[in-house]
Amino acid sequence: MTRTLTVLGIESSCDDTAAAVVRAGSGPAGAEILASVVAGQTELHAAFGGVVPEIAARAHAEKIDLCIEEALMRAGLTLADLDAVAVTSGPGLIGGVMAGVMCARGLAAGAGLPLIGVNHLAGHALTPRLTDGLDFPYLMLLVSGGHCQFLIVEGPESFTRLGGTIDDAPGEAFDKTAKLLALPQPGGPAVETEARAGDPGRFAFPRPLMDRPGCDMSFSGLKTALLRARDGVMENGTLRRADRADLCAGFQAAVADVLAGKSARALAAMRARGLAPSAFAVAGGVAANAAIRARLTALCAGEGLDFVAPPLRLCTDNAAMIAWAGIERLRAGTAPGADLVPRPRWPLDQAAAPMLGAGKRGAKA
Amino acid sequence: MRPEPGPVLAFDTSAAHCAAALVSAEGARIAARHEEMARGQAERLMPLLEETLAEAGLGWRDLGGLAVGVGPGNFTGVRISVAAARGLALALGLPVHGIGTLEALAEGLPRPLVVAEDARRGEIYWQLFEDAPSLPASTSPALGLPGDVPRLPGLRATGSAAQALGLATLAPAQPLAVAMAQIAAARLAAGTLPQGRPAPLYLRAADAAPPSDPAPVIV
Repeated sequence: MTRTLTVLGIESSCDDTAAAVVRAGSGPAGAEILASVVAGQTELHAAFGGVVPEIAARAHAEKIDLCIEEALMRAGLTLADLDAVAVTSGPGLIGGVMAGVMCARGLAAGAGLPLIGVNHLAGHALTPRLTDGLDFPYLMLLVSGGHCQFLIVEGPESFTRLGGTIDDAPGEAFDKTAKLLALPQPGGPAVETEARAGDPGRFAFPRPLMDRPGCDMSFSGLKTALLRARDGVMENGTLRRADRADLCAGFQAAVADVLAGKSARALAAMRARGLAPSAFAVAGGVAANAAIRARLTALCAGEGLDFVAPPLRLCTDNAAMIAWAGIERLRAGTAPGADLVPRPRWPLDQAAAPMLGAGKRGAKA
Repeated sequence: MRPEPGPVLAFDTSAAHCAAALVSAEGARIAARHEEMARGQAERLMPLLEETLAEAGLGWRDLGGLAVGVGPGNFTGVRISVAAARGLALALGLPVHGIGTLEALAEGLPRPLVVAEDARRGEIYWQLFEDAPSLPASTSPALGLPGDVPRLPGLRATGSAAQALGLATLAPAQPLAVAMAQIAAARLAAGTLPQGRPAPLYLRAADAAPPSDPAPVIV
């Protein structure tokens, strides 16, 4: 019999400072998010066209304890009501991860609570169990500003990566596209809105790596293709609004094509391993894109498979997913250690060949 | 009757070290640790604090206050201690005094004194300490060049960049964390509460430049 568990989650691996309290009952599902606080930093980085690690770290260090206090207050709990503290200990921007981990270590030491180091990607990958009570195994597409990979999720600590991006993440490509087209950050929603008025067929953008087998993807060439196409229609440094809409529509269609095409291959690859997925789930900010979501929904309908997309606030970076991953770890009986260390590089699937940043320090994610 | 005020625990990771000290509410040194390390402070800090407490036979709940080094210094190093201090403060319900590196280095040394720490790129972090009312007042911590320091009569220097000033130099009177703990204990004894939560004193902006390629004009 499992007991009720109440866990504080802490997340600071990119540009959102977050704290949340999640309580799980004795059943397999039925977890409740008692509070989830997310303090974004969009305005701090807006002038730089991307997240500046030092600026992010500075903000996390001075906001994280405030977010924790706010989450406890909203949940109506004190530290004495908690069973454990779970904190993102990687992968991510190391300055921010460190701020979260050190605050959590101080908090756990002072309150005498167990501390659980959670892999940020595991937080995303386990979210469909928090929101929809999915059974293992399931197929996961994690697609965000920093990550893009297909994972078979077989247990709280059992992940098999089928493939992923070999360069940029799609969210990053959306941001860069927005920047090249004078649209605001974050680029995803801006490009999506602009694309509605555009013709997706006017520009012939590439579908990188679709001509090769496997589930790996590439998005950096798409960004370059967009820049060339833009320069081809610009006159004296000006871009017509209608041209911009066509560029956005074409770019978005290319990303959707690649993600849908590779998702079909990932499903086939999972089944070829003798595993029957309980569902196909997505997480990450890019999963909020309606055009991409429509393609994935259609794919699943054709395959007779449930498509699970958690609500946006739980798809993008948040701390409820970290608290939940902590609960999963506690239930699985994997003993937490108070000596956890921040890890900038930490692939979920330790056995898979590295794809990104495969230097002497090992794979990034 | 009020219980006796508990001891103060101070810690600092603002440079290539991991340092901790425990002093009584009256400022008497109970235990101190100072380990040189270029990296790994995030791993070492909490065990070091627990060892320091254990050496004195104390637990977290016995403390009466916390002090943390806020820099200026290594950005990441300062954040390691400040974030840990904020977490501890939240759990223990204790006041945390943020103590500047330069102020701690000046503790217990004769005035007039300038504290100068190497800030790299040919610059220094410096602060002037002066007690006599006839001379210029003490300054706030600043980032600048060695030539920025006013040459007061009898001025002596301490800190890692003291040599570069061409002044008579002094060694710090106390290990850094001990000085921080004593400053905080004195403030607590005087009933001075910290102004807000401890925050890193960076003095230097984050390295970041706006994108150089201009976005197109939309027509």
